[in-house]
Amino acid sequence: MAIAGDLRIFNLVDIFQVLRKDKKDGILVIESSPKNYAVYFKDGDIIFIREVAKVFYVYLDVDFEGVLRKDGISREEMYNILVARLPNFLNLKEGKFSFTPGFIKYPLDITSQVHIEKLIMYLSRQLTEEEVGRKISDLHLVFEKSEKYEEIGRKAFLTDYEKKLLTLVDGKNKVEDIINISKINELMVKRTLYGFLASGIIQRERKKERRIGFDLTRGLLNKIIAKIKGL
Amino acid sequence: MAEKKIKIVISGPYAAGKTQFINTISEIETVKTEVKTTRSGEKEKKDYTTVAMDFGRIKIDDEHTLYLFGTPGQSRFDFMWDILGKGMVGLVVLVDSTDPATFHEARRIINYFESRYPAPFVVGCNKQDLKGAWSPDDIRTALDLGEEIKVLPLVSVDKQSVKNVLLVLLDEIAKYI
Repeated sequence: MAIAGDLRIFNLVDIFQVLRKDKKDGILVIESSPKNYAVYFKDGDIIFIREVAKVFYVYLDVDFEGVLRKDGISREEMYNILVARLPNFLNLKEGKFSFTPGFIKYPLDITSQVHIEKLIMYLSRQLTEEEVGRKISDLHLVFEKSEKYEEIGRKAFLTDYEKKLLTLVDGKNKVEDIINISKINELMVKRTLYGFLASGIIQRERKKERRIGFDLTRGLLNKIIAKIKGL
Repeated sequence: MAEKKIKIVISGPYAAGKTQFINTISEIETVKTEVKTTRSGEKEKKDYTTVAMDFGRIKIDDEHTLYLFGTPGQSRFDFMWDILGKGMVGLVVLVDSTDPATFHEARRIINYFESRYPAPFVVGCNKQDLKGAWSPDDIRTALDLGEEIKVLPLVSVDKQSVKNVLLVLLDEIAKYI
C-alpha cells in the first residue's frame, strides 16, 4: 500500500503523524528542487537524512550500515550530521513524497535521538491559517487527552503556553471555549491543537451516545440488514 | 399507508465516488442533480458533478423505504449538509484512497457532522483496486480517527464491496438502538 502525495497539500506534520502511528520503519523520499531527500525512519522516528542527486541511489542499499559507509560517515558522526541537515529538510514546502516501508535493514542497536513528536510540535508552530483549517476546521470540535499524553508530551518538549492549553483539553471544552478561556490567539491555539492531534497527545472525543434521526426498532433494522444482504 | 423514509447520507470530497456508490446499490436508477463541470481543477477529474443531491432507494417493506442521499462534493455546496444531516440514521464518508488531497476535505466533513449531527458513521476508502491507494489504516490516522470508527476498504463499482460498507454501518447503528 502506498503512502505518497504532494507536500503542498499533505505537509510534513501530516506525513510524520502517519509514520509515527504504527512506528513504521522505512525510507521517506522527497523529490524536490534542487535536492532530493531520503529520510530513514526506524520505529516511526528519524534516524538519518541523506541528500541525493538521483532518487534511485536511495534504493541501491538495503543495509543501513552500507548507507553510512557509502557516505563516509561513522556512527558517532551520524547524530551531528542529522541535526545539521534537519533545518533544510524541515523547511521543505514543495515536492513529491513517497514512503517505502521496510526495505532498509537497521542494526538492532541503532535508535533515534530525535523524537518525532518534538519535530511535529516544532513544525506545527509554523503552520499557516489555511493549513490549520485542514484539521481544526470547526470551532465546535471537542478533544480529549490520549492515554499516553504525559509520556508523549515529554517527548514533544511543550512550551509553557502549550502546557496551559493541554490542561483545557478535557473532553468537554470546545475549540472556541479553549480560545476564550486561555485568551491565547486563535491561530496559536489551532496550531497547538493540530500538533497535539498529529503527535498523539490528544484525540477526538469518543462519543458515548450517537443520535439516530428515526425511530428505528431492532426488528426494522434486522429487516434492512436482510434486504441489503439479499440485493 | 404513507411511506416512512429512512435516511442514510453518503458524503465525501469531490470525485470520491458517492454517485457511483449509490448507483451500485440502488433499486431505482439514481435520481441525479448533475451538471457539466466547468471549473478548473474539477473538469479534469470528471465531466459531470452533483450540485444538490443524488438519491437512490431501497424498498424495505410496504411501509418503509431506505433512501441513500449523496451530498455534493464541493465545499461551496456545504449548505446541503445541514439539510441532509437532519434526520439521518447513519453516515458513510467516502474518500479517494489514491488522492491524499481529498483527506483534508473528508476530515472537514467528518468534523462538521460530528459537531452537529453525531449519527453513527463509517468511512469507505474507495478506489482500493487502483495503484497508489493508501491503506484504510493509514487513512484512519490521516483523518484523526480512533480505532472505534470503522474505516473500510471499498471499490464503489463492486456491489459486494458497497453492501459490506452499508452492513457495517447498520451494525454500528445497532449499537445505539
